[in-house]
Amino acid sequence: MISQVFILSSKGDHLIYKDFRGEAGKDAVNKFYEMVTALTGGQPPVVMKHKELHFVHIRQGGLYWVATTKADASPFTIIEFLNRLTALVKDYCGCLSEKSVQMNFALIYELLDEVVDFGYIQTTSTDILKNFIQTEAVSSKPFSLFDLSNVGLFGADTQQNKVAPSAAATRPIVSSQGEQGGKNEIFVDVIERMSVVIGANGVLMKADIEGEIRVKCYMPSCSEMRIGLNEEFSIGKSQLSGYGAAVRVDECSFHQAVRLDEFDTYRILKVCPSQGEQTVMQYQLCDDLPTAPPFRLFPSIERDSGGRLLMYLKLRCDLPPKSLSQELSSPDQSAELQPKNKAVHWEIPRFPGGAQLSALFKLEVSGLSAASLQEVGPVSLNFELPKYTSTGLQIRFLRLSPIQPGPSQRWVRYVTHSDSYTIRI
Amino acid sequence: MTDSKYFTTTKKGEIFELKAELNSDKKEKKKEAVKKVIASMTVGKDVSALFPDVVNCMQTDNLELKKLVYLYLMNYAKSQPDMAIMAVNTFVKDCEDANPLIRALAVRTMGCIRVDKITEYLCEPLRKCLKDEDPYVRKTAAVCVAKLHDINAQLVEDQGFLDTLKDLISDSNPMVVANAVAALSEIAESHPNSNLLDLNPQSINKLLTALNECTEWGQIFILDCLANYTPRDDRESQSICERVTPRLSHANSAVVLSAVKVLMKFMEMLPKDLDYYSTLLKKLAPPLVTLLSAEPELQYVALRNINLIVQKRPEILKHEMKVFFVKYNDPIYVKLEKLDIMIRLASQANIAQVLAELKEYATEVDVDFVRKAVRAIGRCAIKVEQSAERCVSTLLDLIQTKVNYVVQEAIVVIKDIFRKYPNKYESVIATLCENLDSLDEPEARAAMIWIVGEYAERIDNADELLESFLEGFHDESTQVQLQLLTAIVKLFLKKPTETQELVQQVLSLATQDSDNPDLRDRGYIYWRLLSTDPVAAKEVVLAEKPLISEETDLIEPTLLEELICHIGTLASVYHKPPSAFVEGSRGVMHKRLPARTGSGESTESPDVGTAAGGSAPEAAPSIIPSQGDLLGDLLNLDMAPPTTSGPPPPTTGMQMGGMDLLGGGLDSLMGDESEPLGGDIGGSPAMGAGFGAAPAVMPASLNAPVGGGLGDLFDLGGVGMPMGAYIPPKIVWLPAMKAKGLEISGTFARRAGVIQMELILTNKAMSVMTDFAIQFNRNSFGLAPAGPLQVLTPLGPNQTIEVSLPLSTVGPVMKMDPLNNLQVAVKNNIDVFYFSCQYPISMLFVEDGKMERQVFLATWKDIPNDNESQFQIKDCHLNSDAASSKLQGSNIFTIAKRTVEGQDMLYMSIKLSNGIWVLAELRVQAGNPNYTISLKCRAPEVSQCVFQCYEAVLKN
Repeated sequence: MISQVFILSSKGDHLIYKDFRGEAGKDAVNKFYEMVTALTGGQPPVVMKHKELHFVHIRQGGLYWVATTKADASPFTIIEFLNRLTALVKDYCGCLSEKSVQMNFALIYELLDEVVDFGYIQTTSTDILKNFIQTEAVSSKPFSLFDLSNVGLFGADTQQNKVAPSAAATRPIVSSQGEQGGKNEIFVDVIERMSVVIGANGVLMKADIEGEIRVKCYMPSCSEMRIGLNEEFSIGKSQLSGYGAAVRVDECSFHQAVRLDEFDTYRILKVCPSQGEQTVMQYQLCDDLPTAPPFRLFPSIERDSGGRLLMYLKLRCDLPPKSLSQELSSPDQSAELQPKNKAVHWEIPRFPGGAQLSALFKLEVSGLSAASLQEVGPVSLNFELPKYTSTGLQIRFLRLSPIQPGPSQRWVRYVTHSDSYTIRI
Repeated sequence: MTDSKYFTTTKKGEIFELKAELNSDKKEKKKEAVKKVIASMTVGKDVSALFPDVVNCMQTDNLELKKLVYLYLMNYAKSQPDMAIMAVNTFVKDCEDANPLIRALAVRTMGCIRVDKITEYLCEPLRKCLKDEDPYVRKTAAVCVAKLHDINAQLVEDQGFLDTLKDLISDSNPMVVANAVAALSEIAESHPNSNLLDLNPQSINKLLTALNECTEWGQIFILDCLANYTPRDDRESQSICERVTPRLSHANSAVVLSAVKVLMKFMEMLPKDLDYYSTLLKKLAPPLVTLLSAEPELQYVALRNINLIVQKRPEILKHEMKVFFVKYNDPIYVKLEKLDIMIRLASQANIAQVLAELKEYATEVDVDFVRKAVRAIGRCAIKVEQSAERCVSTLLDLIQTKVNYVVQEAIVVIKDIFRKYPNKYESVIATLCENLDSLDEPEARAAMIWIVGEYAERIDNADELLESFLEGFHDESTQVQLQLLTAIVKLFLKKPTETQELVQQVLSLATQDSDNPDLRDRGYIYWRLLSTDPVAAKEVVLAEKPLISEETDLIEPTLLEELICHIGTLASVYHKPPSAFVEGSRGVMHKRLPARTGSGESTESPDVGTAAGGSAPEAAPSIIPSQGDLLGDLLNLDMAPPTTSGPPPPTTGMQMGGMDLLGGGLDSLMGDESEPLGGDIGGSPAMGAGFGAAPAVMPASLNAPVGGGLGDLFDLGGVGMPMGAYIPPKIVWLPAMKAKGLEISGTFARRAGVIQMELILTNKAMSVMTDFAIQFNRNSFGLAPAGPLQVLTPLGPNQTIEVSLPLSTVGPVMKMDPLNNLQVAVKNNIDVFYFSCQYPISMLFVEDGKMERQVFLATWKDIPNDNESQFQIKDCHLNSDAASSKLQGSNIFTIAKRTVEGQDMLYMSIKLSNGIWVLAELRVQAGNPNYTISLKCRAPEVSQCVFQCYEAVLKN
């Protein structure tokens, strides 16, 4: 049971405050900000307690989204709810920022009223909510298809994101204004996150992939969409693939609106996408990657005669080369020593498949001993691989029925992110 | 034009401007004005002055404007209750509107206006809305009942809304069902004994059907409600589990966790050999693993829950060790939780993998995490014996890095490893000694000193090492000082010739130059020990130490059980029961896992009881004088005879030895209070004899194993007990939660004229309990233990013992409220615990309570009529003769019987142990299950208690 919901800016300004049960005072807001800013690194910020009141919060769009409760409520429910709330606000207002929340406060109050009643969560589905919501969203920027300066689709700013007009995905979903209408667009994103640990001897110790298929739909009326996956897609460890080309995952879960009657035989997901963004399928694969991990590192750590630490790192990308010309040294690379984290940060803007890069770092370390060489490492990689899924999952087709009147645009995008890619030395 | 302009700072006179705008004729302008008001409200400005103007805008057909006005109303109505009444008419009207959105909006808002005066106007509209044709209105109305209940619970009951709400559980719309369940669950929490939710197989079936249809949030309400249900048997439990398992693959983690909670609870009822049981175990793993791919916030909450699940059922995740390996970009709080779970899951099968990981972690940057990782290596060594050697060599590798905090942590854990595997890894001591100088943390220094002292005979320069610490003795922390003192004494006992000087030095430092009483006392103890009897000193100081247990950080089993019932809630994150952090009435009920059907745990407990067999139970000895009012002077409890393991040897010398102590203590006490002792028993030797006899009183119950037949046997064996005496069922008097794991349940009985307190002591903690003793506070009838509490064997974890304590009625008297209240203190080696219980007054009814007829008549007349009280006993289906004989069993004697017009009048008498007579007239009419009873007594306060006894005796 949620007692209050409030949204604070990163500076602690009250943007939205709604009390559902009248059991806690408004001073809770300031108390929360006091507590959250006083947290030290080691303390788990997830659930905080002040007297009888428990705070659960998440951070999204640079804002604090907070719910309080006095009962022994479920933090899972509250965190899931706050995540949905941010998604809803994003759907309705276009993007998440202090400004957009401020501009649409009346709309957000209205949303909150429908979404939660007396602390009981009612619904977070855009489809149901659009029957009740009266207020129009106010967009912060006039929409332009050609404005690509917006934040990238997958949360990070990248140069490779030009696969689709990304700004299209940051406008309000629900809008009755005519100028934007008629843009019948649907985005299907396959997003995978990789966690890899490679041991010091080069052996793959752990490799997990978490993936999801996300649909963002701008179509006002779309009765059914059929998403065809690879036909040889299989779930579970027991099924052995006959000809090796199979795409396999360990576990799969689906959005409750997905109908699976054609899934078993044809690997087709049937969805009636409501307007807005939703994750239709999530899957995982542990330890058994179909291909080699995308990056290999060949490190050598030494102590030179002058007592300096020498780190020679050779990094190779094992993805298939897309073009014949290979850049062997990229001029845009940069490296930086971060004394606070005791780390060296090496940045490589582009890394073509099949290429190899190397770097030599010389570090002055006082009191360097042979034993301190053991302390070096591990190497962690952050990267994004566009147009690539490491499980090999592909979308065969995307069919809408009934056939949409007028032009409709369907975008399918793939990307693999590093979640935690660690190479031990 | 954007809304953000509403937030711009306001000038003086703004309120007047807004007022004017609110009263404008133009709708748009009005709407803008209300928006501005709400914006001011959000940032905390007081705009309550505009109340009448805003309320005036309420009557509009513009839904957007109406919603805004309602938003304002909800915020300010409470501070302006009189004005809020102005809005009532509009609400009532809106509840009749043709538009279901407006009807629902009105009923929702009205419920949020927490003003008492409004609630009465709310009832009629609410009643209509609960039966509305539109499900959206019905679901809103269902929540409104909960709102109203929060404001005025009585009103909700009087108006019959609860029944309507119950009907909504069978509604056709799943949203309505879900909200009705949520509302009822909350209301039921404030009425713990009501049967509001009325969970039975039929209603459970309805809920399970609704589960498949409603929204994810509704599913959570329903699953949480299901978790409170206790299935009748394992088959029902299995069928519910089968229907809940599909929820495990839901994308919403809250649904998953609620389903896990239901399954974990109901699994408890399934037999372990069932195929389905293992299937279920397998199904639980993937959803838990999936939770770890969520955002860090959810991961953290999930890990806290997994920590509980792993402790309860480690088999679920035993193959999933890898998912708990730490990722470099996990937040520190996630890393630490993962580490904890890794150790819990560590086993011989995966220890190599775990150690390799831990070693990696020990070279990370974050100091806290590195420390915890090093500690974890030590815990692995202690937990998995086969890995100990590997762990030690890993720790030595880490010491080689010479990183200061790593070395110190490693030394602390190596000390623990020595305590678990003594005399096995001393070869590493040399390496440890090399690092002596770099230790600057008290814990590490203390650990190192302990090691040096413990293995002093194998370290050539132990005296030098310890001496070097001694130089700065006064600058060390207490921990180090104490350890140093002990270590040097150990050293002295091992190498007395070379270290005499050293030991004198440390003893004088500890006893003469220190302000710390702990240190001083320990110093004196050693000093005296060494000076009086060096051989004894050796035996004491160098005694073999018990091995440390492998899991010291497990959650207490009772707490764990309760927390498992709260999976997915805040309790599972804090690892505290909800009663510890939820205020007031909510959540005070302690939830327990259901008992497994079929074979109980009792079969597993070792049968230690037979040793005490041989002598048959016999009647308790004659009443023994009380021990006086010792309550409050709890030190005396320590004088109770020392508990020995095994049955007490029957040598009187031993008994007397124990008793002398007690007798002496009692003598002085009783001398102070000049309490008259019983006529036939004089001073302390006789007392000793009395007590000495006590162990023979209830030998069968001494070491009684858990439950089962022995208790029953004992019940039957009560010699000379009038059959059918009423003994109330045993209830829990002291829950384990409140007594550090000791659970006490019990009842009172009168057997062969002796009052007995029958106790069941259960040890739900993880350590052994010994040294039990009991005392009563002064009470209305002078009840006092007639002997010590006979728990002669230590009570091991999960062991239960049944004890009968004979009571006397000659203790000090103080009137209690209620009259039959008894306050008890129980002591064991852990602590002293207090509880209070109520005894049935019938156990005070003495055997010679039958009055002469003539005396009865005279007494009846003599007692003033004011002292007569009348009661009704309902639903009793005995005839008068059966009732009479039943009552006789409890010493309620029928003196005469008269039949007038088909009505039997029974005249009865009762005598209480303190000599009070109670006279009764019981009227029984054939065919009428309701008896009438009139009681007359010179002390009318007892009437209520006596009546309760009648009721209890007749109905059992």
